Amino acid sequence: MEEAASRFYKSHKKYILFTVMCILSCLVLFPFVIMFLTSLKTADEILSPVFKILPERINLENYLKILQKGNWTRYFINSIFLTITVTCLSLLINSMAGFSFARIEFIGRKTLFILLMLGLMIPAQITLIPMFIIIKNFPLAGGNNLLGFGGSGLIDTYLGIMLPQLSGAFGIFLCRQFYLSFPKAIDDAAFIDGCAYPRIYFNIYLPQSKSVLISLGTLKLTYTWNDYMWPLVVVKSDRMRTVQLALASFRDEVIKWEMLMAATTLVSIPLIIVFLINQNLFTQGISTTGIKG
Amino acid sequence: MNRRRLFNNFYGYLLVLPSYAIFFLFILIPCLMTVIISFTNYDLYKTMDFIGLDNYKRIILDDVFIISIRNTVVYTLFTIFPNLALGLLAAVFLSSRIFGRSFFRAAFYIPYIPSMISVSMVWLWMFDPSNGILNKIMQVLKLPQQKWLFDMDLALPCLIVIGIWKSIGYNMILYIAGIKEIPKYLYEASKIDGASSVKTFFLITLPMLRPITFFLLVTGMVSSFNVFDQVNVLTEGGPINATTTIVHQIYSRTFLTYEAGYGSAMTIVLMIIVLILTLLNFKHGSQGIDRGFV
Repeated sequence: MEEAASRFYKSHKKYILFTVMCILSCLVLFPFVIMFLTSLKTADEILSPVFKILPERINLENYLKILQKGNWTRYFINSIFLTITVTCLSLLINSMAGFSFARIEFIGRKTLFILLMLGLMIPAQITLIPMFIIIKNFPLAGGNNLLGFGGSGLIDTYLGIMLPQLSGAFGIFLCRQFYLSFPKAIDDAAFIDGCAYPRIYFNIYLPQSKSVLISLGTLKLTYTWNDYMWPLVVVKSDRMRTVQLALASFRDEVIKWEMLMAATTLVSIPLIIVFLINQNLFTQGISTTGIKG
Repeated sequence: MNRRRLFNNFYGYLLVLPSYAIFFLFILIPCLMTVIISFTNYDLYKTMDFIGLDNYKRIILDDVFIISIRNTVVYTLFTIFPNLALGLLAAVFLSSRIFGRSFFRAAFYIPYIPSMISVSMVWLWMFDPSNGILNKIMQVLKLPQQKWLFDMDLALPCLIVIGIWKSIGYNMILYIAGIKEIPKYLYEASKIDGASSVKTFFLITLPMLRPITFFLLVTGMVSSFNVFDQVNVLTEGGPINATTTIVHQIYSRTFLTYEAGYGSAMTIVLMIIVLILTLLNFKHGSQGIDRGFV
């Protein structure tokens, strides 16, 4: 009997595997299906004791209501602005530093780089409290004096949310590894032509680093869009909220599930679409940045 | 030549400066600051007196903090190993040529993309005791209704399920990349020797993937140990501290009751635990590794 079963498995291996995978991926995607279907329902449908999984009819009212409700357009603008600025700026400054670490022999390069690698091991949660204090006591901002006292500093400002997110020991490291593979002869040739390092970086290295910048950029983009803890600490007023904070704030009142699910769909769909469009890019980014280093 | 060297130094620093300044200000200095603040009774506003080891003495006697450490350890152990195992399993099956392979890969990976907050909101709805889908399913199956996130014994397992569900795909992607790099001749040789596919898995695939397992173990442990987002939005540490975690304690002590000194002392404890975990993993996991890691 057992032998027959194993023979059956061997000859139908492909079909069995396919069916199992179908079931499993349905299970994994189930919460997203629920999210989307709920967002199409009305409040009455959700509260009614008769449970139906499909909405009675497709209405996108909840989405319209969300966009009109409160400051949701403002939250989206905040998040989009922050994400784009942080991604672009951090790519620029981190690849610049990566280039410098890879190519220029300046005094103390090794020490600085080792410190950076130590920093790589420190999760953001550990630096949370001092980061808040530094942002709060930032000199000459938000009514602070030169020593950083008296006002609220960069609390509740775009700059306050962005500044700590710009740092990226990981990005510097990755760019350095990438630039190390460039032939050194390029630098020498450029030097003879009277080209200084900043120009070598901007004219030769930067245009060549599309691949590493794209994978790093996707990571940074997702991370900034999804970040919750730092904005939670630093944002005080309603108009500075990011979409993640706005989602979490649904818990402050009696939850309207259909609205919450519509908002959740709106917040997560952009990323999922970006992912589906360039799936290979995403996964390549993850696997190269994750392992190869 | 000398002038060139001088210029090198100048440009070297110039290009490093912007990102290093931020790194210095927001990562290195904060680490030192945490140590200093942990010896004071700082309240985030005015008071900041040196109180020696009082914060640390308090930690030892703080029952809630002990519970939070226990919860964090349970969460870490029960998410990381299922995640590694399931991720590896998915990777092995989805590395073979089966129909719809890229669809399955995408399906497993999608939960990893949205924020923890968004997916937590969806799970919050599914776990809802009165109208949530899970209780409706229980009803259909004639099983007793559960209170899920409001149940002392079920809340933490619920968070663990979410944690596993969210990052199987990430582990899978890294394992798939690793499997791709295993030389084909090893499999051919084992086929000629007549090894079964289970044997091939345990004698070739698993050992060859050791560097990746090690990498995932280290990074996964550190990130599980810092679990916060889902705790804060789903349960706020409740019911009765059943799901509070170390970072959640740090957050609520510092930003809700304004005991930043005490919060910093907790942070130091967390930092030491994370450091020990990383070092242990490096010591026992890195033998025989010939590839470079982050």
